[in-house]
Amino acid sequence: MTLLDGGRGIMTASVDIQWVGGGSAATLEASATKQICVSELQETMFRIRLLEDRLQQLCDAGLGADLHFSKGQEAICVGVCAALRETDYLVTHHRTIAHAVAKGVPLYPLVAELLGKADGLNGGMAGEMHLSCLEKRFMFCWQLVGTCIPVAAGLAWAVKNYRKTDDIVVVFHGDAATANGQWHEGMNLAAIQEVPLLLVCENNHLAGNVRPEHYQPVNTVSERARAYGIQTMVVNGNDVEAVSEAAQFAARYVRDRRLPFFLECNTTRLGRHKQGQGDLRTKEEMAELALHDPLRGLEAPQGLADEIEGIIQRALASPDEGWPKGR
Amino acid sequence: MQLLEQQKKSPFNRNHAIRDAIGKAIYDQMGLDQSIHIFGEGAQVKVHYDAPDIERDFADRVHTLPISEDGNANFCVGASLLSIKPIYDLITADFLYRAMDSICNTAAKQNFLREDKSTIVIRSEFLTGGPTTGQRPEALFTHIPGLNVVVPSTPRDAYGLMLTALMTPGVTLFFEDRMIEDGEFNEKVGCVQEAIPFGQSRLCSMGKRGTTTILTYGLMRQVVQQALQPYEFNHDYYADEYPMLCDIIDLRCLYPIDWAFIKKMLERTGKLLIVEPDVIYGGVGAEIAATIAEEMPHVRVKRLGAPRATIPASKSLHDRMLPTREAIIDAIGRW
Repeated sequence: MTLLDGGRGIMTASVDIQWVGGGSAATLEASATKQICVSELQETMFRIRLLEDRLQQLCDAGLGADLHFSKGQEAICVGVCAALRETDYLVTHHRTIAHAVAKGVPLYPLVAELLGKADGLNGGMAGEMHLSCLEKRFMFCWQLVGTCIPVAAGLAWAVKNYRKTDDIVVVFHGDAATANGQWHEGMNLAAIQEVPLLLVCENNHLAGNVRPEHYQPVNTVSERARAYGIQTMVVNGNDVEAVSEAAQFAARYVRDRRLPFFLECNTTRLGRHKQGQGDLRTKEEMAELALHDPLRGLEAPQGLADEIEGIIQRALASPDEGWPKGR
Repeated sequence: MQLLEQQKKSPFNRNHAIRDAIGKAIYDQMGLDQSIHIFGEGAQVKVHYDAPDIERDFADRVHTLPISEDGNANFCVGASLLSIKPIYDLITADFLYRAMDSICNTAAKQNFLREDKSTIVIRSEFLTGGPTTGQRPEALFTHIPGLNVVVPSTPRDAYGLMLTALMTPGVTLFFEDRMIEDGEFNEKVGCVQEAIPFGQSRLCSMGKRGTTTILTYGLMRQVVQQALQPYEFNHDYYADEYPMLCDIIDLRCLYPIDWAFIKKMLERTGKLLIVEPDVIYGGVGAEIAATIAEEMPHVRVKRLGAPRATIPASKSLHDRMLPTREAIIDAIGRW
């Protein structure tokens, strides 16, 4: 990784990413086409973190729903979305808030939707786990673990064979999804149909409260992906620079070759699985994990907390759940 | 072509009149609508044998997928997000259980917010072949919001309803009843080929005031008509067979149901006999009977259908589980 501007945070992806899959990475030029400003990425991560922390308070006060937060995992979606074009499509699972913010979904309608308000993105009908914002090509979320993989494969099939554009589809999922039949059926379909699909695994080594020894008989999730003949890469998912660099490479691979690619991002979930579920991890373990927090030691940009508070207050004051206009 | 003839002569491929009509509807609509694509396990092989016109003209829009029913249905939902209209051919209705999650949780739910609703047609057929190749899961799907459920019983209805399914935003489960014999009481695709709207039943024959209204669908429509054939042309009010002149209504759509017409006909007769080809317990007839009991308490209701038992492999044993012509005549005669 090269820092071009004396440490102010501009970098290029001109890189030595370890190629874990079969074949050779050397044939694919990995030089950067897009300059990425790390401080901008960190700002987006803080946006997610502060928003989720504030929503957490609302949930604790009984004003929020059974939300799923991405605390500790923000670097992955922010890094990946930075490598996408605006016209690329995103499909995701049940932990949606960070993904929506990273894809550029406007905050006020997002927050209003999360709070079940008429002003929400989907009029309060979708809630957290069925969000969609077609203008931002944030296509849909499928709450059931694994479902988003075959759906994303179908979407990518349509991009390649029906719309015939050079856009790509990115789908997020967790490591736990790889124990589900839908993940395997989706991987098989993506590989056999050769679709432009970037699969991003947010590997937090947890399935709710369940540890990998109960669902993962292999060392890395990537091994499973490689069994379908899909190229893979493993990256530190708590390092936003590394993620964005890897994602640039991966997105370019998918865009140029019109083939699926699997990016495994190791990360740490610093919060509960969801509001309605306790956490079995000990304080010591959490303290150890907090050392890997991607925002550790950094300060939130000034004014961001106030901006988010304004949005939250406006959403709280808006009328309750309702139907989308015109329906 | 010779192979095709052989295939059609095979005992495993009899009763193809409805299938041909469905194929014709899909072919006609594919010519008008470029966004219709066929997906399915062995889809290319299936059109080769069943719909050579589609293979000839639209081979590039027929896609063979692996034997992964649930994943395939989700895949079709994904494709539909970009305005493709997938016809997903699951082949056998029993396989729908494999895809319950993707149909009920994914396909049925992705339209509820969208302005631009996806059109997805999920095709399958009822067979006779044993415990897991002779089931009729249609009633389960009528329970799920977001799904239309269609069971045509004649080639003409199959043609018209398939056109509607392909032109209607939403998810349609389209069943082909392979137990319906080609031949008698099987209205052909006529010269006027038009779409038949969902939620419109068909009056197959009209009885006399005061007799019975028979509500049926799928295979049982043909059986009921066969049972009543001997009485069809007797219009003598004083003859013994007079009570056999019944209204016969083919539901065609199990969701939405043609309530207005059914109620109008029941005003005339006051007696409702539901004859269904599926398990009575928790079936479509139960919903109709309950609704009529609530809204028209003066109407008397009877149901005929299959017991809640595992389907036997032998065709003759399977036939014994379904209402016979004699049972139907008996039910009409004794109120």
